[in-house]
Amino acid sequence: MAEPEPLIGIDLGTTNSIVATVQDGQPVVIKNRTGQALTPSVVAVSKNGKRLVGSIAKRQAITNPQETVYAAKRLIGRKFSSHEVQDALRQLPYEVVCGQHDDLRVRMGGKDLAVPELSAMILQELKADAEAHFGRPVSKAVVTVPAYFNDAQRQATKDAGRIAGLDVLRIINEPTAAALAYGFSRTVNGRVAVLDLGGGTFDVSVLEINQGVFDVVATGGDTYLGGEDWDNRIIEWLVFGFAKEHGIDLRKDRMALQRLKDAAEKAKVELSGMRETQLNLPFISTPPGGGAALHLQAALAREKLEDLTNDLTERVVGLTTEVLGEAGVRPSELKEVILVGGMSRMPRVVEAVRNYFRREPCKGVHPEEVVALGAAVQAHALVAQESELLLLDVTPQSLGVAIAGGFVRRIIPKNTTVPTSATEVFATSKDFQRVVKIMVLQGEHDAAHQNELLGEFVLSGLREAPRGQVEIEVTFDINAEGIVSVSARDRETSLRQSITVTASSGLTEDELKRIMDEQRGYLMAARISEELIARRVELDTLARDVMDALTRARLLPGGGGLPPDAVPRAEQVLEHARQVRAGEDVGALGRACELLAASLAQLKNPARSGMGR
Amino acid sequence: MSTQRANQLVEAGLWLRLSGDAQGAQKLFERALELDPGNTRAQESLATLVGGNTGTGPFSAPSTEVSTRATPLPSLEGDWGAWAVGEPSLAVEETAVVRTASVLLPDADAGPPESDVLELLSRDETPITQEYGLPPDTYRAPLGETELERLLRGAGDLLELDDHSGAVDLLFKAQELAPGDPRVEALRLRSERMLMAMLESKLGDLGRVPRVRLQPDDVIWLNLDHRAGFVLAQIDGGVTYEDLFALSGMTRLDTARILAQLLDEGVIASG
Repeated sequence: MAEPEPLIGIDLGTTNSIVATVQDGQPVVIKNRTGQALTPSVVAVSKNGKRLVGSIAKRQAITNPQETVYAAKRLIGRKFSSHEVQDALRQLPYEVVCGQHDDLRVRMGGKDLAVPELSAMILQELKADAEAHFGRPVSKAVVTVPAYFNDAQRQATKDAGRIAGLDVLRIINEPTAAALAYGFSRTVNGRVAVLDLGGGTFDVSVLEINQGVFDVVATGGDTYLGGEDWDNRIIEWLVFGFAKEHGIDLRKDRMALQRLKDAAEKAKVELSGMRETQLNLPFISTPPGGGAALHLQAALAREKLEDLTNDLTERVVGLTTEVLGEAGVRPSELKEVILVGGMSRMPRVVEAVRNYFRREPCKGVHPEEVVALGAAVQAHALVAQESELLLLDVTPQSLGVAIAGGFVRRIIPKNTTVPTSATEVFATSKDFQRVVKIMVLQGEHDAAHQNELLGEFVLSGLREAPRGQVEIEVTFDINAEGIVSVSARDRETSLRQSITVTASSGLTEDELKRIMDEQRGYLMAARISEELIARRVELDTLARDVMDALTRARLLPGGGGLPPDAVPRAEQVLEHARQVRAGEDVGALGRACELLAASLAQLKNPARSGMGR
Repeated sequence: MSTQRANQLVEAGLWLRLSGDAQGAQKLFERALELDPGNTRAQESLATLVGGNTGTGPFSAPSTEVSTRATPLPSLEGDWGAWAVGEPSLAVEETAVVRTASVLLPDADAGPPESDVLELLSRDETPITQEYGLPPDTYRAPLGETELERLLRGAGDLLELDDHSGAVDLLFKAQELAPGDPRVEALRLRSERMLMAMLESKLGDLGRVPRVRLQPDDVIWLNLDHRAGFVLAQIDGGVTYEDLFALSGMTRLDTARILAQLLDEGVIASG
């Protein structure tokens, strides 16, 4: 019987991403090809024009800031004109420009790339890691997104999957995935808090779990609070210490800063497990005017780190209080508290959460891996049809129309299972009104302008009558693909007008196809380039061996019994190899290698070789 | 004319010798003797050098081998990025040798010492590819077309002698003088390509993972600059040479030079 196709769950994070699968009934993380569970969500084009993804890209982020893209998740599916993007642009060292449909394009390696294209590079890397793990192609995945992502952001994430060659079976919420990994769908009925303190963001969610149905009842946090803030405090401490001792500001030197960043992150991680760590950065700086390069050596204690970052921990607690307060949930009402994200391993953070909730947070699953593991569980359940674990596809945010006074009338509430349909009747708001404008909105805010406008249309030719006498029936239809159709009908005349809204990542279908073609071309070129390098290395080794054998043959009396044409022939083969090496023809390089190997065999063992006879 | 050229080559050879490149110096003295077989300075310099080189023979004591590789002058250290410190006593010995060489005065028909291309090279102490740190020295001696020509000719000579490293350095200087000059650009590209090929061949398969051979406590006693320190810090047993080119933040050539030097000095080994 053929093995079932491998399925993966992907936590596509702001700072790091992870891929997992279910093996022998257990969810497990797939390590990347460098043996790490976490792949930094960073892509770059190095100074020599090479595309870099993951830890290599991260390690050159500071020395090559304009060509290194990180935190693309903060931008995905958003409009260039949105205040979230405009806020983000102030902090990003790479260049972002406006696309044709008010979408974003990131300038990298001389090209303007759509955000899903950049996320696809990370997904492609994770897919390749999974393929290396399984030893066969992988094409189906469940991908997680924050609970607050709207349709456009979810669609953009799906598009990223498509570009990467993945069929995204389902997009699920990160806190839901974390709860799934803990098996809460079977064991918990009630409210659960999920605190996700990652590298760059802090998300607080409250889930209502009821007979395996997950409802996100509250979400909030800070998209600019995460592990990097803790790293930066360590960097500042090191920089000021060094400046005091040597009068040199290391922040002005990109190489020094990159080393400080790497060392600070490492020290922070180490301090979660030990009480003190050493930071040794030899040759960190050459003093102005020359002289021997200086070393940075420091010891950092856990207590010191806690002192340096006390306000950050307080912000974590403050934001949690805020989100729970807005949702009207008391800490004592919660059945469980899950800690997610690498930063939640810091003892001080765990202690603060424990003190706030007056309960021990769940610790059974690795906090960095829990979301990916939950996604893998869901991917497995989708294919195995394990109905008790199957999450239903739901509307992530409420859908409605704008009504008089600038308010919103919700027609389909959030978390409604799709496909679905709902109808509501409205009346004209002015005397003798001939026209109504239907504005389709998505979001949870009561004020219309605070929600996202998905589309609008006009129904005209209404009967002239005093206000409230003409009734308009508005119907929302969402099909299984998430496509929303909205129609408005004059109940008296049956006059009808409608609009179809498809969540868009900002990319048109044609653009998507073009990007997918380019990706295929890139992967093909990368494979050829790898083959080219391997062939050249093989050719160099063989050529060196042939040259050595030739030297020996020339020194031996009578050529060591070689046929008379063996030496000139070997020289000819070498010359040919030299010419072929300069080119980029993998086939020709392969043939040159074969010729060299044959020539080498003859030079080493003239009696057995048939060549030259 | 050939006498004058031979004298210039001797001067250049002495500069190379001063900067620790005994092999390069030997090539220049030999070339001078080809042009002017009776040139006594070339003969003497070569004899001194070869005399000093006897230690490199297979039967010599290992310690004398170091004497062919003088501790570099600080002015050239930045260009190479990495130097492992030799034995202090040997360094002192080399200083003495250098002093002997530097008292040789140029012949009357040779150009003034500062007109030599290698002197020009040593005059600028700012590393060519320095990307940050102190603002580069804005002072530059007035240089005209003749200096550009001299730099080009010097680079050509060095290329003929297979000293691509020296040629690249001269051509960078030439490029500073004449940024758009196609001759400079073509020659620089050619010599860079050659030098890169030589350095890559020294590193071997670029897919290999280098590792640091020394313990952290020993590393701090090396004599590295911050750029070499940065490259060394990236070698963690997980990244390949090719990865290092990508994450060094420097040009491929500068990175290759540093890696080759670290490899030469036994600080790192290929996996």
